[in-house]
Amino acid sequence: MTSKLHVTTDVPNEIHMTRTFDAPRRLVIRAMTEPALLKRWLGGKRATVVSAEVDFRVGGRYRYEFETVGKRERFAFGGEFREVGEDRIVHTEAFDGHPGESLVITTYTERDGVTTMHHVIRFESQAVRDMVLATGMANGAGESYDVLEQLLASQ
Amino acid sequence: MVLEADAERLDATFAALADPTRRAILARLAKGDVSVMELAEPFAMTQPAISKHLKVLERAGLITRGRDGQRRPCRLAAAPLRDVDRWIDRYRRFWEESYDALDEVLEELKRSKRKEKRR
Repeated sequence: MTSKLHVTTDVPNEIHMTRTFDAPRRLVIRAMTEPALLKRWLGGKRATVVSAEVDFRVGGRYRYEFETVGKRERFAFGGEFREVGEDRIVHTEAFDGHPGESLVITTYTERDGVTTMHHVIRFESQAVRDMVLATGMANGAGESYDVLEQLLASQ
Repeated sequence: MVLEADAERLDATFAALADPTRRAILARLAKGDVSVMELAEPFAMTQPAISKHLKVLERAGLITRGRDGQRRPCRLAAAPLRDVDRWIDRYRRFWEESYDALDEVLEELKRSKRKEKRR
């Protein structure tokens, strides 16, 4: 099955992800910012959202805590809202126990009741992004990374 | 998702992978063990320059150096690389799966909206 999550890497220090949702923008943003709704989808099938705190305003913080299904491993990530608009949300994102913080710029475009979400994850430098890409976050995104994929496959 | 000790090891691996020359060295080593001299040739770099890169890779645990006298062949050690790959892959899959679940939540929200309208 092909992924519905489309990934491009044209900008040196960014990763762009696009996903379309069959719902109006207002509902998509609601489901992405209301804790009670977030808890129902954010963990997918492999993790339970143990807690979701969202202070959805400029300067407000959010934090999501998870527990994986089965192994019951805990992990969490969070950040701060920098911009809160009707069609554009900007927030920072940092994982507990993992260095660095990225800036996530999300725009929502609605057309005929369908919302296209465009996610820009901006890293501190191209080097940081390339580390992420080189290790397979966007499989097949660039030829130069194919070598590394082969390398991993050969082991 | 990542334990404290894992995070430190990942840092070293990430830093080592940030450089294109070092990635190319790893790709070359994936084909088999080579000496520093053999490694230096295709990169148009001096042996000391290559040695510097090898030290970074060695510290990150990505390669090991043989004890074969002068030759000291370099060998790929892929375990740290697999750790990084696993971490990132988990991250990507995490979002794919979550968005699929979000589709279901949105369907439900739309249904309850339609019901409200009918009332």
